[in-house]
Amino acid sequence: MSSKRKKTIFDELKALLGSRVRADDMELQLYGKDSSVLSGVPSTVCFPLDAEEVQGIVNICNRFQRPFIARGSGTGLAGGAVPVGNPVIISTAKMNKILDIDLEDRIAWVEPGVLNLDLSKALKEFGFHFAPDPSSQQVCSIGGNVANNSGGPHCLAYGVTTSHVLAAEVVLPNAEIVTLGGIDPEPTGYDLRGLFIGSEGTMGIATKIAVRLTPNPPDVRTLLLDFADVSDGALAVSAIINAGIIPAALEMMDHNAIGMIEAFVHAGYPVEAAAVLLVELDGLSGAVEAAVETIKDVAKIHNAGSVRIAKDETERALLWKGRKNAFGAVARIKPDYYLHDTVVPRSKLVEVLNQVYQAADKYDLIAINVFHAGDGNLHPILAYDAREPGILERVHSAGDAIIKASMDAGGVLSGEHGIGLEKRDFMHLLFSAHDMFTQDLIREAFDPQGLANPLKILPSGSRCSDSFKQHVPEGVWV
Amino acid sequence: MSKNFKVSLGIDEDALASCVSCGLCLPHCPTYRVTQEETASPRGRIALMRQVEAAGVADDTFISFMDACIQCRGCETACPSGVPFGPMMETTREALADQTSYQPRYRRLGYSVLGMPRLLALGSRLIAVLQRLRLIPSRLALPRIPLRQTKLKASGDDVWLFTGCIMDAWMRDTHAAVKRVVESTGAGVRLPGNEAGCCGALHVHAGLTLKAKKLANKVIEAFPGTNPILVDSAGCGAQLKDYGHLLGTTKAAAFSSRVFDVHEWLAENLDKLPKINSDEPPVIVQDPCHLRHVQRSHEAVRLVMNQYIGTIELDDDGLCCGAGGAYSSLHPETAAEVRTRKLESINRSGGTNVVSANPGCMLHLQQAGVSIQHPLELVDSIIARAMKRE
Repeated sequence: MSSKRKKTIFDELKALLGSRVRADDMELQLYGKDSSVLSGVPSTVCFPLDAEEVQGIVNICNRFQRPFIARGSGTGLAGGAVPVGNPVIISTAKMNKILDIDLEDRIAWVEPGVLNLDLSKALKEFGFHFAPDPSSQQVCSIGGNVANNSGGPHCLAYGVTTSHVLAAEVVLPNAEIVTLGGIDPEPTGYDLRGLFIGSEGTMGIATKIAVRLTPNPPDVRTLLLDFADVSDGALAVSAIINAGIIPAALEMMDHNAIGMIEAFVHAGYPVEAAAVLLVELDGLSGAVEAAVETIKDVAKIHNAGSVRIAKDETERALLWKGRKNAFGAVARIKPDYYLHDTVVPRSKLVEVLNQVYQAADKYDLIAINVFHAGDGNLHPILAYDAREPGILERVHSAGDAIIKASMDAGGVLSGEHGIGLEKRDFMHLLFSAHDMFTQDLIREAFDPQGLANPLKILPSGSRCSDSFKQHVPEGVWV
Repeated sequence: MSKNFKVSLGIDEDALASCVSCGLCLPHCPTYRVTQEETASPRGRIALMRQVEAAGVADDTFISFMDACIQCRGCETACPSGVPFGPMMETTREALADQTSYQPRYRRLGYSVLGMPRLLALGSRLIAVLQRLRLIPSRLALPRIPLRQTKLKASGDDVWLFTGCIMDAWMRDTHAAVKRVVESTGAGVRLPGNEAGCCGALHVHAGLTLKAKKLANKVIEAFPGTNPILVDSAGCGAQLKDYGHLLGTTKAAAFSSRVFDVHEWLAENLDKLPKINSDEPPVIVQDPCHLRHVQRSHEAVRLVMNQYIGTIELDDDGLCCGAGGAYSSLHPETAAEVRTRKLESINRSGGTNVVSANPGCMLHLQQAGVSIQHPLELVDSIIARAMKRE
């Protein structure tokens, strides 16, 4: 081979990262998928160790006009990290150090690959935690939480990721390194930090993140209410909040969800029940005690079968383990799942839940509901076996019906999983062409070349010519 | 580019489909924890198996990805869908051993020696002598092997003690201590003859299933009757309990139902253990993976220990220490990296002395300077000291 051979993008990445750049076919396929149903194949996978290396990779991608996609733990549920257009995957998984914990200012600086639960575990000895707790918190990364502005059961009382991230060092799509936001309480100027959080890697890649530390509550009580009728459970949700209580978490699981969860955790979940509510109260002991009594009253009015109160930390942990592992347990029913993440007003929960079940019935599918009831954030799971011929069309149709029902009820498309690739083409249900045009202008201000996680969030055609279909890999639903 | 070769893994189709790729296993996988790479994760390994099963071809890269798994099975306790990862990996390795050059001759020979007690004893004696003459390089990281070992003597016929291969050749003192603790409950201990030998766990892990089945048949013959068979090595115990599945016979299933980790058996006989007031400082319990993730009887260790001494828990959710049977010899670098995480957890725990109910973990951690014993060695010494005082 001639020594004058033109250097490829792989050669240049290799020169920068050595063995931390890969292009083996088998390995590439593993980075073609996240936790959603979509898949693609990247051209290269890179494992940078610091901001300078991320900057170097982005520079090379710019030179070769090659798209790049940041990837954390690959647990996204909307295809946000699924490769489209032969991109370079930039895995932040090896950037996993907690850089600094400042207890006085209650801030920690972390690298994006730090796992959410690892951070809270490291803070435990100081009496603090990181409040956003996605159900996948044992594996999802802080970088991924920032990208998706992730929520979690306890975000009902504490707010989602954007309320807990003060600043981020970001490699912009033009490879410039900037710090968005700041650790001062009220940074002046436009809130670019707020804009960046939830941008799903389309405005750059976070390489250091300043997170807010939340003190652990002095007292916690976890209750499990069971119902013979899903509607009773759903009505009890609003009733609890109307009684003046904002629980730390207020989760609902239906009959199918309870069955698959209990088979894994053996926590004594009532497998006969039509639905359960998992309610957590925290704060000062007196207030928690009073709230427990109120909830018992609400439970009685709304025909709850029983109210179980976790007697200790072990029982509490076991109940939560069930809730937080729910999506992963779906294979106990069917090997594949497709889920939505719509948010509806609490007052419409009963109505929309019924429509979810009707949609599943109509297309002969199994619906499993396990969701953040307190803030109306549904997670209807459609469980299926992809090996069954023609099933994808049915799943797709049922999904459409669920989206429509949620939108008709005044809801929104995504509570916390992001839009990614999977929900992208539903955006027009929520936004006018003008809205999307404006959003695309903002995106372009950050990424004029269109290389940062392209073709995600905004449907192609919101601005330029409709050329995305040629990049869409096989198997992707568009 | 490595060469492609034809291979059929033969993994059950439903098992292969049962992973939803949620990724909840990743933080519980020791090799993912040290690499942060999908190829070294359970989810990634399953996806690789699917690729090979669909294509019918594999290459050396695939073999190296499969061989990098420690087979700790921590992913199985973490998996909400109950994916049978261990059996899938064993099936994969069996197919690779049968159909490719995955297990070269010299490795097969090494595994064979485990099933030959006399040769193993002789070889161990030789190593012991060479160690005294300082002719064994320390980089091999072998434990100090005893020159002479006292023969164990049967004390009755209530329970069997399984003695195994390497452990009997290198760590018979541990067996002796375990035997004394079992005897302290009033039970008489019966010992198998030399022909019992190796349980075959390492062979199954290496994909040498046929050899493992032969060893299993020998072991079953060496333990006649219906009395319980107690095992003080978590890896061997897990294997003996799996004979019913491995051989698929009712005889093997009946044998497996007689097998107990020695702590499980003691936990059922706590009231018979000598009552002693001890003021020993608490000890760290390091759960062997095959006790915690496979046999799932690690709580029994605590029940027994807490009769005599307080226990300190590690904060790593039972993550592997990196020993993994032959793994630490075959992949010393990864094994050491995994061990570093365990050492950090031990340091954070505030304790100093560690107990672990598996010889592999003991040796692997000992080599890093950890003060470690079998749980029942510690119990035995506490009982002995109390007896002396009286």
